[in-house]
Amino acid sequence: MASSPVEGSSFPLDDYEALLSTTDVELLKRAWRNEKAAPEILRFETDLTDRIREQIQLMEETVEEKSAAGINPLSISLYQMDLDRAQFLLRSYLRIRIQKIEKYMFHIAKTDELWNRLSREEKSFTRRCTDDLKQHLEESVLSKLPENYQSFQRQSVISEQDDMVPEPQLDTFVVCRSKEYLTGIQLEDGPVDDRQLLSKLFEMEPGVLYFICYKSIKALVESGKIDLL
Amino acid sequence: MYGRKACQLVKEFAGGEKGQLTPFNSDLFEQVVAECSQHHLELQSLIRKIQEEGLDVQTTRNADHHGALIHHLALVRNKRCLMAYVYNRAEVMQSLLWKIGQVLPQEIEEKLCHSEIEYFKKHSAALRSYMSKVQLDLTVDMVPPKDPYIQVRVLDDIGDGIVLKQFISRAYRLILFYMKNMAWPLILLKTLHLVILDILYKS
Repeated sequence: MASSPVEGSSFPLDDYEALLSTTDVELLKRAWRNEKAAPEILRFETDLTDRIREQIQLMEETVEEKSAAGINPLSISLYQMDLDRAQFLLRSYLRIRIQKIEKYMFHIAKTDELWNRLSREEKSFTRRCTDDLKQHLEESVLSKLPENYQSFQRQSVISEQDDMVPEPQLDTFVVCRSKEYLTGIQLEDGPVDDRQLLSKLFEMEPGVLYFICYKSIKALVESGKIDLL
Repeated sequence: MYGRKACQLVKEFAGGEKGQLTPFNSDLFEQVVAECSQHHLELQSLIRKIQEEGLDVQTTRNADHHGALIHHLALVRNKRCLMAYVYNRAEVMQSLLWKIGQVLPQEIEEKLCHSEIEYFKKHSAALRSYMSKVQLDLTVDMVPPKDPYIQVRVLDDIGDGIVLKQFISRAYRLILFYMKNMAWPLILLKTLHLVILDILYKS
């Protein structure tokens, strides 16, 4: 995690930190943190996870080679520690996504925007999950109800839209930080000012922590301008 | 009173310990389902009555219309409760899958209804198939690794070399007992014999 730039710090250090924050493990850590904090599922990092997998394999080979060669155990254990951390990150990242899918599978399956954020494997997992759960619900409840009440998405045929699908709450609050100066963020559902019906615009300074409604920074998280913590 | 039984059903689930399942209350469940059919019958007979009186079902706002509406709302509410009961139980099962693994212990299986047991099997198969596609076991590594070492108690003499490598590759799954970083060189120097007493999986 790069600390906020300190005034007067030397350039080489900045360069070094900039370099550090763009390694794949750091990028994955960022994606992992965002995924963990966001209430909805985010875009799957296909290329990044592929690269991480390659690196993990490389690290495994290195550890094996070194331990076979009987090199200083301390250095091996450092490699091992690095490897363990990378593996944990990757597993945890995939796990968080799968658990989100489990929770909101019907919503994700019927919303194209969310559906397209899944990886190929996640899509087939979601398909299977929704089929299984739908069948379970039908078998235990819906088939026993009168004809007009058998939809798993709607309460009855009278409902005009799907009103029985669990959705993530996008108006929860998240802690976030921006990398650059952002302006003109519209805070939704803010107190309506009687004198001027102009909704308040919000500014974000780089490196400062904000506690803010997810909905109003959703687009900025998706475009990678804001990191969640 | 309309909807009371369904409410009881949901309360029973909500009253249980979080993340735990109570036995599937098929008795109460069937009663609620029966109540739904009863509501539907009465709803239909009221609508028929409106039609027989030659009134338009869509626009009539007489006592029969409001009676029918009450039956409809009670039915929909019952449906919500039934769905919530089954759906929330399914969610608990999903989380159990992560906590206790693919095989249900006998005492939990007894609490499930037939359809739920089937669902658990199917869902765990779906998860297994995902994990084999991504070639990663997601059920391990549930907590961040802190230390590449494991704590074990010395009991018996196990050969070195191979054993050490296995330890390294499994380190994140185990709990250290008393050896810290110092243990490694000592083991390599064979001043310490390493033996597993019991492997503690982190819950």
